[in-house]
Amino acid sequence: MPAVQDTIDRVRKIDVDQYKYGFQTEIAMDKAPKGLSEDIIRFISAKKDEPSWMLEWRLEAYRRWVTLEAPTWARVHYPKIDFQDIYYYAAPKSTPGPTSLSDVDPELLKVYEKLGIPLREQEILAGVQKTDVSELEEPSDNVYKSGRVAVDAVFDSVSVVTTFKKELAQAGVIFCSISEAIREHPELVQKYLGSVVPTSDNFYATLNSAVFTDGSFVFVPKGVRCPMELSTYFRMNEKNTGQFERTLIIAEEGAYVSYLEGCTAPQRDENQLHAAVVELVALDDAEIKYSTVQNWYPGDAEGKGGIYNFVTKRGDCRGDRSKISWTQVETGSAITWKYPSCILRGDDSSGEFYSIAVSNGYQQVDSGTKMIHLGKNTSSRIISKGIAAGFSQNTYRGQVSAHRKATNARNFTNCDSLLIGDQCGAHTVPYMEAKNATAQFEHEATTSKISEDQKFYVMQRGIPEEEAIALIVNGFVKDVIQQLPMEFAVEAQKLIGISLEGSVG
Amino acid sequence: MLEIKNLHARIVDDGTEIIRGLNLTVKAGEVAAIMGPNGSGKSTLSYILAGREDYEVTEGDILYNGQSILEMDPAERAAAGIFLAFQYPMEIPGVATMEFLKVAMNEQRKARGEEPLKIPEFLKRVKDAAALLNMDMAMLKRPLNVGFSGGEKKRAEILQMKLLEPKLCVLDETDSGLDIDALKIVSEGVNALRAPDRAMVIITHYQRLLQYIVPDSVHVLYRGQVVKSGDKSLALDLEANGYAGVIGEAA
Amino acid sequence: MNIHTTPQRTPAETALIDAFGDRLSLLPGDGTVMLKRDDAIEAIKSGLPTRRIESWHYTDLRRLLTSVPDFDPAAAPNAIAPIVEGSAVLPVLNGVSSTKTPDIEGIAVQRLSEKLTDGSIAPGLDRYGADDAIGALNTAFVADGYFVDIADGTELDKPIELQNLQSGGQTHVRLLTRVGAGAKAVIVERQTGEGAALVSSVSQLLLGEGADVTWLIVQEQPDTATHLAQFKAHLGKDSKLTLFVMNAGGKLVRQEIVVKTTGEGADFTLRGINLLAGDTHTDVTMVLDHAVPHTASTEVIRNVVTGRARGVFQGRINVHQYAQKTNAKMACNTLLLSDDGEFSTKPELEIFADDVVCGHGATVTEIDHSHLFYLMARGIDEKTARGFLVKAFVAEVIEELDDEAIVEALEARLDDWFLAHG
Repeated sequence: MPAVQDTIDRVRKIDVDQYKYGFQTEIAMDKAPKGLSEDIIRFISAKKDEPSWMLEWRLEAYRRWVTLEAPTWARVHYPKIDFQDIYYYAAPKSTPGPTSLSDVDPELLKVYEKLGIPLREQEILAGVQKTDVSELEEPSDNVYKSGRVAVDAVFDSVSVVTTFKKELAQAGVIFCSISEAIREHPELVQKYLGSVVPTSDNFYATLNSAVFTDGSFVFVPKGVRCPMELSTYFRMNEKNTGQFERTLIIAEEGAYVSYLEGCTAPQRDENQLHAAVVELVALDDAEIKYSTVQNWYPGDAEGKGGIYNFVTKRGDCRGDRSKISWTQVETGSAITWKYPSCILRGDDSSGEFYSIAVSNGYQQVDSGTKMIHLGKNTSSRIISKGIAAGFSQNTYRGQVSAHRKATNARNFTNCDSLLIGDQCGAHTVPYMEAKNATAQFEHEATTSKISEDQKFYVMQRGIPEEEAIALIVNGFVKDVIQQLPMEFAVEAQKLIGISLEGSVG
Repeated sequence: MLEIKNLHARIVDDGTEIIRGLNLTVKAGEVAAIMGPNGSGKSTLSYILAGREDYEVTEGDILYNGQSILEMDPAERAAAGIFLAFQYPMEIPGVATMEFLKVAMNEQRKARGEEPLKIPEFLKRVKDAAALLNMDMAMLKRPLNVGFSGGEKKRAEILQMKLLEPKLCVLDETDSGLDIDALKIVSEGVNALRAPDRAMVIITHYQRLLQYIVPDSVHVLYRGQVVKSGDKSLALDLEANGYAGVIGEAA
Repeated sequence: MNIHTTPQRTPAETALIDAFGDRLSLLPGDGTVMLKRDDAIEAIKSGLPTRRIESWHYTDLRRLLTSVPDFDPAAAPNAIAPIVEGSAVLPVLNGVSSTKTPDIEGIAVQRLSEKLTDGSIAPGLDRYGADDAIGALNTAFVADGYFVDIADGTELDKPIELQNLQSGGQTHVRLLTRVGAGAKAVIVERQTGEGAALVSSVSQLLLGEGADVTWLIVQEQPDTATHLAQFKAHLGKDSKLTLFVMNAGGKLVRQEIVVKTTGEGADFTLRGINLLAGDTHTDVTMVLDHAVPHTASTEVIRNVVTGRARGVFQGRINVHQYAQKTNAKMACNTLLLSDDGEFSTKPELEIFADDVVCGHGATVTEIDHSHLFYLMARGIDEKTARGFLVKAFVAEVIEELDDEAIVEALEARLDDWFLAHG
């Protein structure tokens, strides 16, 4: 099990402050003034050269947002956010988009190197315009055994580079920044944007609708199986900057796509706001697999700083027999407020949610899912593994509902929590709502600590305590790790180990 | 190799004294059987040898190759060559047996300053050991001990013992829950590991196991003390006459 | 959305506030008690809970409580026989306790109106949280009930049955019970009557060291009654409480169960049956606090939903930081038998201690088709077979109580319900 060994090695290499992505990069930035107003929204929209319908859409969301108050129902506590003290737009000066390697700020390339985005991807990032497809298809022994990964890198508010675009285009797949999609594919954006998460959905989604600056756009046409994994790396760099990305993924009839997002941010004393919206649309027989490895800066050992991660993610199984699967590994952020959901609208559609949420230090996690069964013969599956250590609070909050017409709705939910230390809390708040006699819901949850018997057994075989715990924890989360693309599974296991560093008393 | 001197130990939680002045010496190459009625402290002794934190040594010492091991944690003791075959091996969900074996072997190698095993070499060792114990490799891909039958768990313990090549093997009621065929296989596995530089402490309630693993010495444990020692004939005597006689003598 | 507005008072809210003004001069209580009543009515003035209040998420009391009857009962309620023959009966008729109290060794019974008048009950009138609407309603209006004091070491061989009987109008009753150290008792709480009624009933139970109590709540209100009830208990060291709750009636029912283990070794068992029919709404909400180390609890709730009934079970287990070695298990199983029925479950775990074993399970299902097929293959017609399986589903919970007289009595209540709704 190299991952465990690696975890330990990695943990040992890390100093007191364990967050390895906590560097800041000096890059010339282009910023809008602090604060939020209709003028700022006009500024953002103008910067991005948006059509007027997009501006109107944003303004409408903004006008709605000013009437709203931040939600308080989640089990997270933080001081009131001053929304006027945030920069809503920050972009590296070299935008829009590099056309050659020399256009990409070398500092930026270093960022991705430090992020550990695998070597092959860096070559691709750097050689963005050398898109000689045959050259890129050279077999290599890099970690991406399962195939190549196209990357969209979002730095603060702006997508800096998207790889493999040409090859994807040959397959008919559109993978670009959402800004570009608004300019180049307005008919698709207009049709689908806000159709899953309406601008009025909730406080943070409404804010995002008003100010989102970039994010990824994926369109997989009818019958196409996306030839490679798609991936976006989000990086928050600039101080006092909010990141509001917007991702929209559409899989037409019979299409398939697997998408992965990874997130990091530098260490800072202040809290930074991240309020993303992700919308997925799956038409008849389509399948979308969405994986997240979230490692935003969690704050220091005293709970200072860290990202506020208030995210709305929702998938709409709009077509019959469609399938949407969410997998998340959440190790970062000071506060996580996130419920990737599935609306099972099409008959025979299915939704899945696999989650690992690790909290340590003073992190607060309130995360889970919603499975809304509307169509006939729909099914959903929820596997959630929460691990709380240090002084953290870790809440699973999930809703499963079967509406009146959702005959034969099926759900299976399993949420297990593991506590490491006696200063942390693990909470499970499931909501099950059945309005149809043919619904079958099954929910089970457990909370426990690592058993002393297990630990003793493992240590008796010569495995030191910290690694014994890592081994048992990796066993605990196995069901979810298996759902990740293989390359990321290894990374995720390492992250979990690193996140729990120092939790063993 | 193993020298237990006037050992007193109690349960940390409630202070109950279980081991009360136990003395025992086991030489390299020796197979020592510890017998005794239920509640005499047999399993406790095995846990204390392996370093379980639930027990506290209040007096006396345990010397392993002349060094006290009381300050060592379980992993350090294991790396030093002490192996405990558990009476009830733990189930560890999600951790494949093969992965576990590899981590354990390499950790011990690391502690001894040896290079980690190359994958083919590791696989070869596991395959050979599994064949000897009549174990299916498919079983080793399953999570550790999860869903194993009683016999499978005991075999997996002996497999680990073989692969980890310990110097002091403590077998806690390895015969419990085994049918006669499994008992034979497990015993053959243990016998194959007998070596001049390796000592074994076989803890058992019944003489049955000792028909297959013939001990060099037999010690009767009662109320946390060794009340009688002898050669293998003592085991037969106990089988025929029960513990009452021996205990009566001691009391 | 999160838009805040100050809503108009509903007719029910207005009626309650007006009724308080009208009743004030009739309500017993010393100065402290009256101050608590004032606080309570203030809470009602700020509005009945809506679904925005998390603990009332599935029972929007403000919307569901459409009208409030006045205080005048339609008639005198009829006395009823206790469910277990030979029980000592303490009746409350239309909110008024009896002057005659049974004379049983080791038990002291006092009318609650006396305790209100002398103010000795005042501390017990505090609400347990901001969302304690039932506590507020009851504190504002409670006029009577009983205080039952079971002396240390008393072992009762027959149950005590507390009967809260109404014949319409409003009744607000409190039943206080203290069970002394080492005492053993079975206490039955009957809630029934006829007519359009608003009932609030709060039961408070204090268990001394090593006390062992089985408390049965049998709620069979008519489908014209709103029944808002609360059961609160503190479990002392090594005490044992088995609480059995059966809801088999009522138009709008909320039964809150608030239990706290305050002594090590305390053991709490909850067994609940909700038999839901017609166009009704029934909510059982439990908050269980494991506040000290080494305590255990198990909860099993079985629900049968027919007609247009809506059912709710919320169960929250809080394990406090120092409550190590807590063992808590909860299960909620629902049979949804009609297309118009609904059931919502929210089993919560709030855990702040690490050395614990806690779990919950919840299912919503139809009748198991293979079981049904099996019975039908043995020649039992479908309707009978279904009835058989549904009854077995809930009877299983009753049969766990290891007291034959009680099991028989409860099964008789069950049979009555199936006869009326089968």
